[in-house]
Amino acid sequence: MLRRLTLILIPYLWLLALFLVPFLIVVKISLSDVALARPPYMPQLDLAAGLSGLKDFFSQLDLENFWFLTSDDLYWKAYLSSLKIAAFSTLITLLVGFPISYAMASARSEWRPTLMMLVILPFWTSFLIRVYSWMGILSQNGLLNSFLLWTGLIHEPLTILNTPTAVYIGIVYTYLPFMILPIYATLEKLDISLLEAAEDLGCSRLTAFWLVTVPLSKPGIIAGCFLVFIPALGEFVIPSLLGGSRTLMIGKVLWEEFFNNRDWPVASAVAVVLLLILIIPIILFQRNEQKNREAGQ
Amino acid sequence: MPQTVFAPWENPDEKPLIQFRNVTKRFGDFTAIDNLDLDIYTREFFALLGPSGCGKTTLMRMLAGFETPSSGSILIGGQDMAEIPPNRRPVNMMFQSYALFPHLSVWDNIAFGLKREGKDRGTIETRVADMMRLTRLEKFARRKPHQLSGGQRQRVALARSLAKAPKLLLLDEPLGALDKKLREETQFELMDIQEKTGTTFVIVTHDQEEAMTVASRVAVMDEGKLVQVATPDRIYETPNSVYVADFIGDVNIIEGRASQSGDRVLVSWAEGTTPLVAATEKHLSKDQACYLAIRPEKITISETEPDTANRLQGEILDIGYLGNISTYHVKLPTGHVIKAQSTNTRRIARRSFTWEDKVWLSWTDTAAILLER
Amino acid sequence: MKRTMLSVTAALALSATAAAAQEEVHVYNWSDYIDESLLKKFEDETGIKLVYDVFDSNELLETKMLAGGSGYDVVVPTGTFLQRQIAAGSFQKLDKSKLPNLKNMWDVIQKRTDTYDPNGDYSINYMWGTTGIGINVDKVKEALGDDAPVNSLALVFDPKNMEKLASCGVMFLDAPTEMVPAALTYLGLNPDAHDKDSLDKAEKALEAVRPYIQKFNSSEYINALANGDICVAFGWSGDVLQARDRAAEADNGVKVEYNIPKEGALMWFDQMAVPVDAPNPDGAMKFLNFIMDAHNAAAASNYVYYANGNKASQQYLNDDVIGDPAIYPDQETLDHLYTVTPFDAKDQRNLTRMWTKVKSGT
Repeated sequence: MLRRLTLILIPYLWLLALFLVPFLIVVKISLSDVALARPPYMPQLDLAAGLSGLKDFFSQLDLENFWFLTSDDLYWKAYLSSLKIAAFSTLITLLVGFPISYAMASARSEWRPTLMMLVILPFWTSFLIRVYSWMGILSQNGLLNSFLLWTGLIHEPLTILNTPTAVYIGIVYTYLPFMILPIYATLEKLDISLLEAAEDLGCSRLTAFWLVTVPLSKPGIIAGCFLVFIPALGEFVIPSLLGGSRTLMIGKVLWEEFFNNRDWPVASAVAVVLLLILIIPIILFQRNEQKNREAGQ
Repeated sequence: MPQTVFAPWENPDEKPLIQFRNVTKRFGDFTAIDNLDLDIYTREFFALLGPSGCGKTTLMRMLAGFETPSSGSILIGGQDMAEIPPNRRPVNMMFQSYALFPHLSVWDNIAFGLKREGKDRGTIETRVADMMRLTRLEKFARRKPHQLSGGQRQRVALARSLAKAPKLLLLDEPLGALDKKLREETQFELMDIQEKTGTTFVIVTHDQEEAMTVASRVAVMDEGKLVQVATPDRIYETPNSVYVADFIGDVNIIEGRASQSGDRVLVSWAEGTTPLVAATEKHLSKDQACYLAIRPEKITISETEPDTANRLQGEILDIGYLGNISTYHVKLPTGHVIKAQSTNTRRIARRSFTWEDKVWLSWTDTAAILLER
Repeated sequence: MKRTMLSVTAALALSATAAAAQEEVHVYNWSDYIDESLLKKFEDETGIKLVYDVFDSNELLETKMLAGGSGYDVVVPTGTFLQRQIAAGSFQKLDKSKLPNLKNMWDVIQKRTDTYDPNGDYSINYMWGTTGIGINVDKVKEALGDDAPVNSLALVFDPKNMEKLASCGVMFLDAPTEMVPAALTYLGLNPDAHDKDSLDKAEKALEAVRPYIQKFNSSEYINALANGDICVAFGWSGDVLQARDRAAEADNGVKVEYNIPKEGALMWFDQMAVPVDAPNPDGAMKFLNFIMDAHNAAAASNYVYYANGNKASQQYLNDDVIGDPAIYPDQETLDHLYTVTPFDAKDQRNLTRMWTKVKSGT
């Protein structure tokens, strides 16, 4: 009995220590006011003052910072722009990732571990270095432009780096494995005889793909989309390195609140709202996973 | 009006529905089908029988269009199928795994092929309802495949493949996943449905009993070749080779050397024994190696020496009691073990033979089949 | 002031003979900002193990200082940041009795840093420099002709010039506290103005040239300038000079030049200070005194191509440092250099918001 209780308790303690407690701290900061102090916000919880201190502490918390977020169009524009960039790059990642997964799943079985390795291989290098390499590839005098000039396809170097295009390339490149792997997992399990059955019943290869392969890989597609969308929404490194200054993303706004304005309370409020936005897809994702598990049984 | 026996293969004017002409199929170095010719006729229930790897599945997949012959041609209704993709052949297939679409309901699975034909909704609904009635699936229309039992899935697969009313239905080990009792029931259902729909069925199976039960003709295959194509009774009674005799049912094979006189052949088979006699229409040269195939149920077992041409004495080694019949394994002085069957008409207590009894085995000269290979 | 971005905190463990109980000093400095042989020299002279970490942005350092408990004994914020962090109570007063080398410091610089840290109670100057214009000489001449105003703010704030430069690439620092004073100077206003009205004017000036700016970034321009990817960078003196050296090393035909704008330029100071919760303040004093040694300060400047606030070190400086007016400006230029004060919370928010608007159009 005790053992079972401990087993159940461990994941909850984990969640409590690594998610709930930090989140509550962030919520608390988001309800505070900025101050020139160390740490730079008020009020501080002083347990030595006892109950009255605690009361005093809570009386100083308010929702002012959240109201502030509504006062400037910067914030909702940044959220919206992040949502747009995340959604659009998820779509591109799907369009690029699906054929790759499909090719992997249709490759001869002795090739598959190698192909899988090639997909995972980039993870062995630092993410930062890989994004930096893209700067080298996409820059004005970079590899891509040199190559295109050499082939004679273009006569003036293309401006890709520091544009939204570069951000999309960066996000798609970085998160591609997260799209490929779950889709590949569903496609690999796909019974070839289902496709033969579809053809046998009058489908061309293409309609068999649409009517059988795509619906059956739906769990993988949904999982992949969430795995790309959720981190892309809060992405900070890729837009700051590859994107121009016009690429407005909430991660960057958050960084500026925290580091440039030293306004930890507003930065925390931005983070809390971001989390609330993310909770919706995360819950949907969980539902999807659960549904799949039930269907699998 | 006299009832004619269904035997289109004996009518030279009858056009075959399916024609294999010099068909060879290679996978790399491996030859799966070796220069094969075969005609299958409309309304036949044709069984391809053989051990795994004999090429029967390849033959079927070539009919469906999932494989193309390396050489030779396949004609269906007189039309060469070489350039016709699977989705445009007048053929449907029931897969061994059933290959039901897991994301579609029973109703949608059955309607799948009809929808692809662009039939109007009313037609589709009527046809799906017909198919579900035929396969007794009315209650399960809204269920998904994973909510069905094995037998129900099998019926969905059958209904789905029949829905488009194909000229030819291919069944790949259709009953393999069912338990024995359900399998036997379903065999009769299949025959019933075949008769009702008038569709030509080609079934692939490794189960000889199943082939014998359902088929109008059976093709026994080995290593990419047809060994014998005939009706079940002919396959059983007059196998053309030891391979076929051995594959279908139980048989005793005795190897020997022939010496023919007229339609009788004497087979010398062991030192110090009387040659065995068999009737044949074949002509064997002197001392040609040959085989005698005798089915156990054609051998009589007795206490006293019988008055027949073929009689052998031996000792009972083993008795297999199967209820209605018993199989006796009798060891001859030469070391051969012969299987003999007798019907248990008497009660067990009154049975005459037991282990280590000396008994006589005998059969008529027409009971044994003389085989050259 | 500001170097590569890649090395966020690369720890350099220096002493090979580190005993468990050995005294340690933890120093947190800008990346690529010291002659590393000096670190070895400090250990040899004092027997103290030196743990040397690097950072690449004032904001990062400030966040550590405001959060507290950084574990560092010596850190190097820039003047405006230092002032705010002193106000927040992040630093401790220096024990000047342990800093005999204070006598080496340069009164001219001391007077200017008094703006941030009156009397130098909390900090000593390490390096100082200017914010100005780095150019790819040939490309700028190609775009604007031989009489291009390369030593004027008009080069980067006059849309007519910028329009022509856009195709060869222009980068600005992504630091409003550097760029807004420059814009105000170009407009003939007080570069240290914090009021909304002045900021609005600066915003208009920046937005006028915004379409021609490829990127706002505070580190990438070094390589971009050296590779010839861009032809103009508004950036820090030492960084541009570093780009000049990299181009020369690569021998790629790119000629980089740094100019202090004749209208005036921002002068900045990187100050060494001791966090209030430093684990080893005594060791910190020893390190500060070591850095203020005339030979050591000279060695550092000779290595990084930045001027220092150490008068006594000047006799030991190489000619290409002390003799380069881009590093040690002449008196006339020096008179045109100005300093700025930090923004308070409200003004800082206006500034950041205005900067976001300039950069992103939102």
